[in-house]
Amino acid sequence: MTESQKQKAEKSKVGSVMVVGAGIGGIQASLDLANAGLHVTLVEETTAIGGRMAQLDKTFPTNDCAMCTISPKLIEVDKHRNIDIVTAADVIGLEGEAGDFRVKLRKRPRFVDLEKCNSCGDCIEKCPVEVPSEFDEGTMSRKAIYKRYPQAIPGAMAISKAERAPCVLTCPAGVNCQGYVALVSDRRFEAAYELIRDRNPFPSVCGRVCHHPCEAECNRQELDGAVAINNLKRFTSDWVAARRSEGEDACPPQVGEIDPDKSRVAVVGGGPAGLTAARDLALRGYPVTLFEAHEKLGGAMLLGVPGYRLPEEVLQRDIDDVVAAGFEVKMGKGLGRDFTLQDLRDDDYAAVFLAIGCPLSAPLDRSTDGSELTGTDLSGISLGVDFLRDVKLDRGAVLSGKVVVIGGGNVAMDTALTASRQGAESVEIVCLESRDEMPAHEWEIGDALEEGAILKPGWGVREIVGSDGRVTGLKLQRCTSVFDEDGKFAPSFGDELSQADADHLIIAIGQRSDFSFLPDDDPLWNETKRFVHADGVTLQTNVDWVFAGGDMVSGPASVIEAVSHGHEAAESIDRFLQGADMTEGRDLPKPEAAALPDWPHVVRARAVPTRVNVAERVGYAEIEGTLDEEIAVAEAERCLACGICSECLQCVEACSADAILHDMEPEEVTIEAGALILTPGVDPFDAAIRGEYGYGVYRNVITSLEFERVVSASGPYQGHILRPSDLEEPKRVAWIQCVGSRDVQSGNDYCSGVCCMYAIKEAIMAVDHVPGLEATIFYNDIRAHGKGFETYYESSKRQFGVAYRRGIISSIKERQQTKNLLLTFVSEDGKVAQEEFDLVVLSIGLRPSKTTPELAAALGLELDRFGFCRTDALTPGRTTKNGVFVAGAFSAPMDIPETVMTASASAAMVGEELAVARGTRIREKEYPEERDITGEEPRIGVFVCRCGTNIARVVGVPDVVEYASSLPNVVYAEENLYTCSTDTQIKIHETILEHNLNRVVVASCTPRTHEPLFQETLRDAGLNRHLFEMANIRDQCSWVHFNQPEEATFKAKDLVRMAVARAATLQPLDDILLDVDQRAVVLGAGVTGMTAALSLADQGFEVALVERESEPGGIAREILHTLQGDDPRALVRDLVARIDEHDLVNLYTDAEVEDFSGHIGAFKATLRQGERVIEIGGGAVIVATGGAAHQPTEFGYLESDRVLTQMELEESLEKPDFAAELEEVVMIQCVGSRDDEHPYCSRICCQEAVKNALAIIEANPAARVYVLFRDIRTYGLDEIYYQRAREAGVVFIRFDSETPPEVKTSEGLEVRVIDQTLNRTVLLKPDVVVLSAGVRPHPEAHSVSQALKVPVTADGFFLEAHVKLRPLDFGSDGIFLAGLAHAPKTIAESISQAKGAAARVATVISRPTMFRSAVVSEVDTARCAGCLTCVRICPYDVPVIGEDGVAFIEPASCQGCGLCASVCPRKAIVTKHYDDKQLVPALDAIFGDPEYETTGTAVSGGAS
Amino acid sequence: MKVSYYPGCSLHGMAVEYDESIRSVCNAIDVDLVELADWNCCGASSAHFIDDELAVRLPARNMLIAEREGRELLVPCPGCFQGLKHADKELKKAPSRWTDESYEGRAPVSHVSEFFHRRELLEKIIQEVTKPLTGVAAVAYHGCASQRPPKLTDAESPENPITMEELLRAIGIEVRPWSYKTDCCGASLTLTRLDIIHKLSGDLFDAAVEAGAECMVTDCPMCQSNLDTRQTEIEALRGTPYGLPVFYITELLAMALGEEKPDRWWKKHFVDPVPLFRNKDLM
Repeated sequence: MTESQKQKAEKSKVGSVMVVGAGIGGIQASLDLANAGLHVTLVEETTAIGGRMAQLDKTFPTNDCAMCTISPKLIEVDKHRNIDIVTAADVIGLEGEAGDFRVKLRKRPRFVDLEKCNSCGDCIEKCPVEVPSEFDEGTMSRKAIYKRYPQAIPGAMAISKAERAPCVLTCPAGVNCQGYVALVSDRRFEAAYELIRDRNPFPSVCGRVCHHPCEAECNRQELDGAVAINNLKRFTSDWVAARRSEGEDACPPQVGEIDPDKSRVAVVGGGPAGLTAARDLALRGYPVTLFEAHEKLGGAMLLGVPGYRLPEEVLQRDIDDVVAAGFEVKMGKGLGRDFTLQDLRDDDYAAVFLAIGCPLSAPLDRSTDGSELTGTDLSGISLGVDFLRDVKLDRGAVLSGKVVVIGGGNVAMDTALTASRQGAESVEIVCLESRDEMPAHEWEIGDALEEGAILKPGWGVREIVGSDGRVTGLKLQRCTSVFDEDGKFAPSFGDELSQADADHLIIAIGQRSDFSFLPDDDPLWNETKRFVHADGVTLQTNVDWVFAGGDMVSGPASVIEAVSHGHEAAESIDRFLQGADMTEGRDLPKPEAAALPDWPHVVRARAVPTRVNVAERVGYAEIEGTLDEEIAVAEAERCLACGICSECLQCVEACSADAILHDMEPEEVTIEAGALILTPGVDPFDAAIRGEYGYGVYRNVITSLEFERVVSASGPYQGHILRPSDLEEPKRVAWIQCVGSRDVQSGNDYCSGVCCMYAIKEAIMAVDHVPGLEATIFYNDIRAHGKGFETYYESSKRQFGVAYRRGIISSIKERQQTKNLLLTFVSEDGKVAQEEFDLVVLSIGLRPSKTTPELAAALGLELDRFGFCRTDALTPGRTTKNGVFVAGAFSAPMDIPETVMTASASAAMVGEELAVARGTRIREKEYPEERDITGEEPRIGVFVCRCGTNIARVVGVPDVVEYASSLPNVVYAEENLYTCSTDTQIKIHETILEHNLNRVVVASCTPRTHEPLFQETLRDAGLNRHLFEMANIRDQCSWVHFNQPEEATFKAKDLVRMAVARAATLQPLDDILLDVDQRAVVLGAGVTGMTAALSLADQGFEVALVERESEPGGIAREILHTLQGDDPRALVRDLVARIDEHDLVNLYTDAEVEDFSGHIGAFKATLRQGERVIEIGGGAVIVATGGAAHQPTEFGYLESDRVLTQMELEESLEKPDFAAELEEVVMIQCVGSRDDEHPYCSRICCQEAVKNALAIIEANPAARVYVLFRDIRTYGLDEIYYQRAREAGVVFIRFDSETPPEVKTSEGLEVRVIDQTLNRTVLLKPDVVVLSAGVRPHPEAHSVSQALKVPVTADGFFLEAHVKLRPLDFGSDGIFLAGLAHAPKTIAESISQAKGAAARVATVISRPTMFRSAVVSEVDTARCAGCLTCVRICPYDVPVIGEDGVAFIEPASCQGCGLCASVCPRKAIVTKHYDDKQLVPALDAIFGDPEYETTGTAVSGGAS
Repeated sequence: MKVSYYPGCSLHGMAVEYDESIRSVCNAIDVDLVELADWNCCGASSAHFIDDELAVRLPARNMLIAEREGRELLVPCPGCFQGLKHADKELKKAPSRWTDESYEGRAPVSHVSEFFHRRELLEKIIQEVTKPLTGVAAVAYHGCASQRPPKLTDAESPENPITMEELLRAIGIEVRPWSYKTDCCGASLTLTRLDIIHKLSGDLFDAAVEAGAECMVTDCPMCQSNLDTRQTEIEALRGTPYGLPVFYITELLAMALGEEKPDRWWKKHFVDPVPLFRNKDLM
């Protein structure tokens, strides 16, 4: 590339970054980038950001609430004007190259308008569909329309849809079966009825007679039987009918607004097809006339269905509703008998729908021998359809003796049952078809058999026998087959003959339409001249204004099919009369139906309606009953909601914001990005794979992630620890570690790195929640390798009594009476023991997210064999694709702080890549002008938060709100479910404007996390942000007084009263604008410092790199190899060379910081370099001053030169013959770590031991290597090396910290150790003993700490601002830390942290100016006596006594902590915003209140 | 449907009621059993202790016959099942090591519950049930050998099989949940280490009673005979009257499918099932 090409390439770089995956990693990367001048598109797969961390209850090792710590970050991302959030989206393609990518996204439809939805939740209340909540790991359900979790960002709802349910797709009339079943389950019977009636005008009829093809497709059949959909329809219609009969106006019929100017339409036939069409057309406003040949409406529903299946009054109620639509009915008008089609034409009917059904019986006219059948005219013979009709019209014959029915269809079965009701003593059914071929529905045949009818299938009528003109019987011939090879009706007969006696014979072998009104040459005929032709889609006949449907077109079919024809005909006639396209959008292929949902189902048998016993049946009374309400609801609850959303449209009705968009389609968009950061995170291991633990079978075996939800206040039991089987509080809880981790069988042979710590945390939480709970953790090695972890682990034992048992549990047994669980293990004394637990938690490991293979394919990335993103050890965060970076657990299993550090690191690498484009794509925010409130009386608005149940469970929130309204200056008060949610911010904003508020009080959690959010809302609403006050009624009230609700409510009122009193005194303050020195200072030029300096320089910033020693490189110069085989010394050489070359890095070696001053944006340091004094400066500082190796004095190290440290061993192994001469080597772990003096784990020693052990075996396979250890902590992917070492024959011997190994150095080395597993003393005689000596803080750390006034921990490492979410920041703004200075870690981790710190620095120095808070202390020089009290107390060393002898406080440095103001003896210092004038009224409000004596004494506790 | 059938020695001897009931069930659901021509001992229980080669050669001979017959091979005894599966896998791996013939694995080896649980046969069973055994509460006991090791048995769900359970439900039996469905009953030590039998089988009886079962159902002749014959002595040892008849799954299937003379089998049971059936009005 030429120089000009290079420049061009630089110019074309895009100053925008795509971050894929919006968990805590993605969030941190986005914030670092956006705060350093790069625009971010944050892409998330689910409907909300927050990732796994949002699901957690508390976090280790500080027990902070995960939601409370992440929630402000969510809001910061949401509010950040340079971060665009794209949810429900996947990356599907990538074009272009590093610096200038175009990323293709597929956005799945949310079905809710993000802009319009205000998150009110009204839709959720109305939604009838419940499915397991993903966020709650299935421990509770959510609705089909939902918010992923209460604090979710974006706050808008989303709707989940699968393919449409098979029942819905199957219904010929398109009835939304899943929808009405869901509404029944929600006891919203009227809504269910209306949903049915929308597509099926005959709910009562079909609820009884429908052949319910929906049930035949129901996915639940695969489990335990289809949902009784049809019975639910019947229940619904009968429920509505019952309400109506009680005089209620339940589901009033739909009435059309008839437009007399519209064309007139005639409908011929008052059966289901005709009535449906007439109703539909009337509802569309057409004037319709319906002609019915009989004197009653109903057609086949009336005349063909006997009363025991469909009582006439039931039919009538549906018909009444249909007719109410508003069409004219002309009874007794038969086509061809009373009028002709031409008459209709002449009467100005512009269209006609013919639906005259099949009212005639097919005749039996052929004998089995092929001749014409005689005797059909004998007396005692009738036709099925006529027989049923006559009975219905009360002119049916009274029968006696034996009746033979001929026919195998449904009409024949009805005929048989009716015949016995008409007096037949016995009924025999003869049909051609074999039993299996009979066309009647199986349940109808069953009904006939139940009442004693005798079946004689497989016989044809050879002859009808009669005497005296009356039928006496039949001669029958065996039918061998009914249909020919083409499936055509062509019966053939065998030789076998039979006969049947008959007093009556009823022929029910088919039905026909009555086409006598049609002349032979009428164009309506189809080719066969047997049917009227009608188009398959439009039902239009050969005559354009004539449409035909129902049985007359389809042949005898069902009510629901006739209804479907009615709908289609109405649609066609509407289109025809409007001149619209007749077919557009109608003849579509049937879409794919939803499959059985894969969430767990409980087997529950289908509901069966009652039936009247055969013996108790009377006349035509109905046989089958309607389901009881409770049974119906329970049956409806069996629905699996296959389509998830049922599209019942209740949400649309409920949404006042008009935000629901059911027809939203997936969308593909292309977004420009200069680089990508991948943070797709992890999925939990599927515990069901480890079948021996019975997960999914035993109800009281749950996963650790489920346990997080159980403990969570927003979880299934509102934060009470209960077990699923009986909702009792468990008293004995076990954790089983390594489920799906370190497990070769399941393919996860790596260590998940986080499970030990979260299990310890969960055990502590459990003990803390349930008094007397016994927690036991079954484990392999406890891996407490992170900062502060070891002490946390120890405290779990000492303070909380958590029991630890070593060993893998091989199976769990469930006790059937109690549902307790039996665990078998090997006890300390080596015996097999069993212990019973109430609840077992499986510590499931981490897997790369399921979707990452697709992501990798779309981006062209390589993954490792587990599916983690492939990176090189010494270039962490760089994927195999240039310009694409990775952070968080997609690169390897890791916990939250590591995720945050790697996320910042990836932001730095992107910053290096896109340095030239910084600032090119950002948007600035403009706030409305601040309202001047000078001279206004205080007008205070109070917002009281329920915090879900966190506050409301204890404090009477409505009571507090009412009380707040009564306080002076309060003009508005309300309660909120979550005052921090986005929708409440909008509410507060609106309320400020509406009520002209000039002060706002929020009573909720802590200002520590939430004050900035509310202050931002004030600014948005034109108020100065300091006009805000918070009352902490959660942490300091509901949480601490959880079992004293009454007193807590009093206290909440006290706290609110104080806050209101102070709020009234608050004054606007203006923030300070500072100039920023856009350079950086890095202290320490080891690998960490050099990496950080180079990253900053590559990002375009000038860096002063300060090294105490004469050469850069630090401790890495002494390490020859990493576990992964990299060469740290080569790395050092490379870094040094690059620093030499880089114009922007100024390296100062042999330099000491002599003086350090300044504040964020403008630090200054004085260096002493020999005799020289150098002034350097920068807007931010990184402390990378490193650590040191422990120099052992124990285990004979000082006595023998054959006792080495691992570092010394590594050096010796470089000598060619050293390993070859070793016969036996003993390594001792935890030397100078995890002891009383140094209670931390040095994190890297296990890897060192494994590395060197492998090196020895490789060089000398005959050597025996013993590693004496307490826990092997090869976390993450390093576990593979541990496994390799064991396979290579390295022997690992566990010892107890109480009985450490003994090393004798006299007369040859001797090591004695008690093997904890064998419980035996082992004597070893090694050639060398190798001590895994721990890591120590740098000896000069204290002086750096003092110079920079930054804190160190008790262990002597530097202390970050927040161990979880601010691992790279100091509490003092503008100073950052990285590398061994922070805590023991590997080189790769140091590199990552160095980059991360560089990214944090970039957020400070990428802009020329910055704002600082106005809340600072100020000296009243007139009062100051120069007594030095403030100078001594300030933890940041800000106050100085000036030449005038009085104190001066630099506002830009002041952290506003107020210590000086509180100690100043002359009251010369005032901390703005915390002026006595503001605090005293708050105290007066509480102590001056006459009620205080009664309300305040019961509970004591601090105010915020 | 025609399948090859390898009864093995158990079903010719002590487990003859297993053999008869399998035949009865197959008859009722139109499965045509064709006994494998000239079959020989599978070698189970001893060959693999003595000689690895023999442990393959014995069952391999049977598998080669089955291969020639080319039909699925139903093997009711889990011991035989394991041996034949093992041979099948070895033959597939390196046919030339064992035979000059070609071997493609044309005779997949099936075990009883898994076989009858197959969708079409299960449906057929549901269809043909004439005498549902309603009211009987049972635990399904698969034992270990038909399931483990899954690499050998190809069991779909070796920790929690559900085949026998669904078959029992299909004939109206109430299947009680329990955690011991694939635990070892100790049968192979029934002659050598009675102490172990007493512990293992005793635990199973306790667990079955705790689960609310009135009988145990198995598809392994060793388990059946062990649990049936040792029950009385364990009752005496533990001081608990169990009274749990131990059935072959096929005995109950056959009964529900209308087998006319199931009584001939009940006589062969040590724990008499007749009172249970009487109690439930099934006899």
